[in-house]
Amino acid sequence: MDEYEEMYGIEDDFEQQFADELEVMAEIDSGPLSGRSSPVKRSKWRTEECCSFAEALASADDLVRAQSAARAPGGLQGTTDTTTRVSPGTGETKALETFAEEHNSLTPKPKRRRQDVAKKLHFGLEDNGRDITPPSSPEEYRSSRNTSLDTVTPGVLEISGLGALQASPRKVDLSWQHVLRRPPPTGDYITVTGSAGNRVYLAKREEDSSKVGITWVTVEMDVVFVVVGVANMIVGLTMDARTLRNSQYSLGLLSVPIEVLREQVAEKRHRQLVVESQRLTDMLSSTSHVNVESGEVDSMDQEGDAAEGDCEDTTSRLWVDKFSPAHYTELLSDDFINRCLLKWLKLWDMVVFGREKPTKKVKANQADSRLQSKEQQNSRFKTKTQMTEEILEAELDQHHRPKYKVVLLSGPPGLGKTTLAHIIAKHAGYNVVEINASDDRSAELFQKRIDTATQMKSVLGANEKPNCLVIDEIDGAPSVSFLTIVLCDLQGVEWLVGWSGFRGTQAAINVLLAALNRKENRETDSEASGIAMLKKKKKKKESVLLRPIICICNDLYVPALRQLRQQAFILNFPQTQPSRLVQRLAEICRCQGMRVETGALMTLCEKTDSDIRSCINTLQFLHGRGQRQLDQRAVQSVKVGLKDQNKGLFSIWQEIFQLPRAKRKRIGDDPFSLGEEGGLSSAGAQRLQHIVHLASSSGEYEKLTNGLHDNFLSMKLKDPSLRGVCLALEWLSFSDLLNEAVMHLQNFSLMRYLPFLPAAFHLLFAATSVPRINYPNSQYEALTKTQHTRNALVALLAEVSPSIRSRVDVRCLSLDVLSLLLDVICPKLRPVNPQLYSTREKQQLVELINTMLCYNLTYRQDRSPEGQYVYLLEPNVEEAVRFPGLPPRRQLTYQAKQMIARELELERMRRAEAALLARNPLQRKEEEKEMKTVATRDKADKTGLRNHQQRLENIMKQAVMESRPEVDFFGRPIMPKEKPKTSKASGEQEKYNAELVMGRAVGNSDVWFRFNEGVSNAVRRNIYIRELL
Amino acid sequence: MVQIIITSVEGGPAEWLLVELQGEMVARQNTGLAKNLMGDLHFTNEGVPVLIVGHHILYGKQVKLEKPFAVLVKHTVTPQGSEVAVETDSERLTRYTVSALIKKKLIFKTRPKPIITNVPKKV
Repeated sequence: MDEYEEMYGIEDDFEQQFADELEVMAEIDSGPLSGRSSPVKRSKWRTEECCSFAEALASADDLVRAQSAARAPGGLQGTTDTTTRVSPGTGETKALETFAEEHNSLTPKPKRRRQDVAKKLHFGLEDNGRDITPPSSPEEYRSSRNTSLDTVTPGVLEISGLGALQASPRKVDLSWQHVLRRPPPTGDYITVTGSAGNRVYLAKREEDSSKVGITWVTVEMDVVFVVVGVANMIVGLTMDARTLRNSQYSLGLLSVPIEVLREQVAEKRHRQLVVESQRLTDMLSSTSHVNVESGEVDSMDQEGDAAEGDCEDTTSRLWVDKFSPAHYTELLSDDFINRCLLKWLKLWDMVVFGREKPTKKVKANQADSRLQSKEQQNSRFKTKTQMTEEILEAELDQHHRPKYKVVLLSGPPGLGKTTLAHIIAKHAGYNVVEINASDDRSAELFQKRIDTATQMKSVLGANEKPNCLVIDEIDGAPSVSFLTIVLCDLQGVEWLVGWSGFRGTQAAINVLLAALNRKENRETDSEASGIAMLKKKKKKKESVLLRPIICICNDLYVPALRQLRQQAFILNFPQTQPSRLVQRLAEICRCQGMRVETGALMTLCEKTDSDIRSCINTLQFLHGRGQRQLDQRAVQSVKVGLKDQNKGLFSIWQEIFQLPRAKRKRIGDDPFSLGEEGGLSSAGAQRLQHIVHLASSSGEYEKLTNGLHDNFLSMKLKDPSLRGVCLALEWLSFSDLLNEAVMHLQNFSLMRYLPFLPAAFHLLFAATSVPRINYPNSQYEALTKTQHTRNALVALLAEVSPSIRSRVDVRCLSLDVLSLLLDVICPKLRPVNPQLYSTREKQQLVELINTMLCYNLTYRQDRSPEGQYVYLLEPNVEEAVRFPGLPPRRQLTYQAKQMIARELELERMRRAEAALLARNPLQRKEEEKEMKTVATRDKADKTGLRNHQQRLENIMKQAVMESRPEVDFFGRPIMPKEKPKTSKASGEQEKYNAELVMGRAVGNSDVWFRFNEGVSNAVRRNIYIRELL
Repeated sequence: MVQIIITSVEGGPAEWLLVELQGEMVARQNTGLAKNLMGDLHFTNEGVPVLIVGHHILYGKQVKLEKPFAVLVKHTVTPQGSEVAVETDSERLTRYTVSALIKKKLIFKTRPKPIITNVPKKV
């Protein structure tokens, strides 16, 4: 801990900023730190921690020491021998262990547990090497190790019998046999199970001295551990020993003899130690330049090691989590955003905590003024700032809630939005409830969660904090439904209502809900003024949202968020300032014992677009790979920092049309980087690469190309000869051809050439000024127009008479016929009544109508948007051949068109009739006949009629004639035979005629009807059976 | 036990229509309604009955009767034997013949519309 303080005493604020982290780290480190004074002890601690048998061995040491006085005879001899031999120095024991383990790890049949141990030990040993204080030379260490080896080997040989005892009983001397694999056939025995689960049997012997027997019994567990552990170890060792292998194990499990292996290991270790010492001396010399105090260097190194040890222990912990800010002051994101969010959250104080606002506000204002002065420096957000300020100053609603119930944080990933939300919520005294994209977002669950989050609070914890709901990655929400809930919650509607709407699904109901909610709100508004307000509020309390909700999204303009956007207080995350980020990264690096140049960090920031998370992850990755030093080149060469970015089309277009900003700062920082890149030409190559990468990452080549096509002419062109434009057009046609090949022939291998079009455009048109880019819609417009025209032409062709159709297709119609035809159908017509036309004009009209009918053209009345009625050609092929910019053609007048339309209609009917009659001539004859008869009768009737009757007769006749010629007014068929009868005397006949026609009914009937609504003359009468009989 | 024999006419009973008018039929002369033509009944294409009575036109509708009626014709056959037996029921043989069934009726309950014949030429 002292070392830490010493080190970080320089940056006082950092110390307090990272107090928590330091604490945590201190906790983690405390173990190793305390034990670091002697390397041997430390490594022992390590082995103790992880391996059982080493522990056993250690305890065996004690045991042996305790027993050494008692000097166990007989079978125990071997074991004690080994242990005693080993025991003199713990260092030697260590060496033995490690050695044994190392070999175990090399042997082909390791046990799992031991392998594990071996690994740990290996590290421990490494640590040993590194932990040696500088003065100690590696040779010394080595010699000590060698001696231990020397001592071990005989021991191995001596105790080999015991090892063999386990593996191959045939070798066993009877007198040794007190540890058995199976129960001995004769005599007493004790069953002992080791911690590894292997069971052995200890034979009891009568001739053994009672003392020994007692020891066995009392210390049985420990002893057996020893026995088993040592036996295991020995098996590992002895199996490798050549002599034994020759004599007993002729299996030849090792392809390389153990001696060779051992030598190799020794060699390897030596080399490693040399390297290590070299490194240490280097570091010493290098750091001594920087830090005059050598003690600090030591501490630095040690701390680095400690950090490393920590990494080993807690590899799973990400630096991003480890160094995530814990306090408001540590936030890296833009101050203004932080402040806004905090302020908004504080607005809830009134409803959530019941605190009064004004006092709070004064404080906030003070903080504001201070922050604002800071904010004033970068006046980029000034207008927006004022706007947001206004929002925050706005009055609370009748529930004392802020106007906006939801905050929507938006920004690219890795800027710390979630962190900000969490920290500020905590800061404001809330308990954060987070709903993430990974959570289940089905409606029920979501509703439940919102319910619990906004209406309940934790009662279990010591500090009962109100909840603050953080919905992370809300734009990833699968459906509108999800947002519906948020929305209706916003409006404070009853859940039931929202729910029922939900069942019905989708957007219409969504809108309906919103409307409904608004209405409800208004209602409450009106009532709020009244005295009933309090009651109302109380009643409403369940349904109204009373807790803040923070939503976080990456893309603000996702369609699903449209509705939420209108009701949310939107905070847009700007990019983190690189300087701040670099500072923080440097701190982290220092904390983790990495040496990174500031320039390298700058490059990293640039590379990741100031993505904090990505930066830190990259650093950790590099650190994890063992890189302790980082320079700019290394950062540039690393591929990890790049995430799979998905930029919007507009930003891509912008990057295509805009030259990248000159990076003078970087050049100054690191001059050789540019030299390496090879000057301007390779800068161009880099740009090209960049654009190609960008284009291929977006993947929407067609859209991209459309945008380029629509916008490239509006760029500031520098070449007067328009060579660039020509080239660009060639590129466009080329990519069009490519596209066609890809789409028509399914030749997708050509797709890879598509991203070069943007690159070409970039090289041709990129300028330093910010381009104004419009969304491309010309392609769409052209497409719709084409379809429109084609449809019109097809419709025209469909009804054209076959004789014409056989000679005309769409192509020749549009190219040759139509433009002339449109002139043909616009003859000069006098604006008079067609009946006054001369015969020539009439002929002209007939021809015109004939032509139009042939080409299936008519005029259709249409109402223009201004309210005027115009006659348009139907189908409107005019658009196909009339181009804008050409002089307008002569048009027929409205009246003429109307007349033509009418005539066309008539003519068409006439033709249809003619065609019908031509099809069945018989019917026609009959009709003619009937017409004739009727006509003759009319004549007969008309002959002598008196005036007063004539009118009625006319009416009657008209009615008869018009409806059904063959049927009279009452539907009776008219008998032609009656006619001769009726023609008797004129007076009578007329009367009779009239009567016949009208059946004497209407005029002077004998019976008439008096209406009496609802009256029935039905009579009820009793009838007896006898009357029936 | 009274037994009434009801038989139907040969070939099954005919189906009649009941015409229900809400109001009354009045004769123009005091000759009574008998033997006068009442009017004309038509059906439009949609099947709406149209009754023309005098200068009135009535639109009605066809309704299915809940309980159909039967039109019975009573036949009383007195046995030729004794006059005395006339009084006794057992002697009399009364038969009924179903001449028609009425299952539907035409009901004209709306106010009748006048038919105007002498329209003045110039109003």
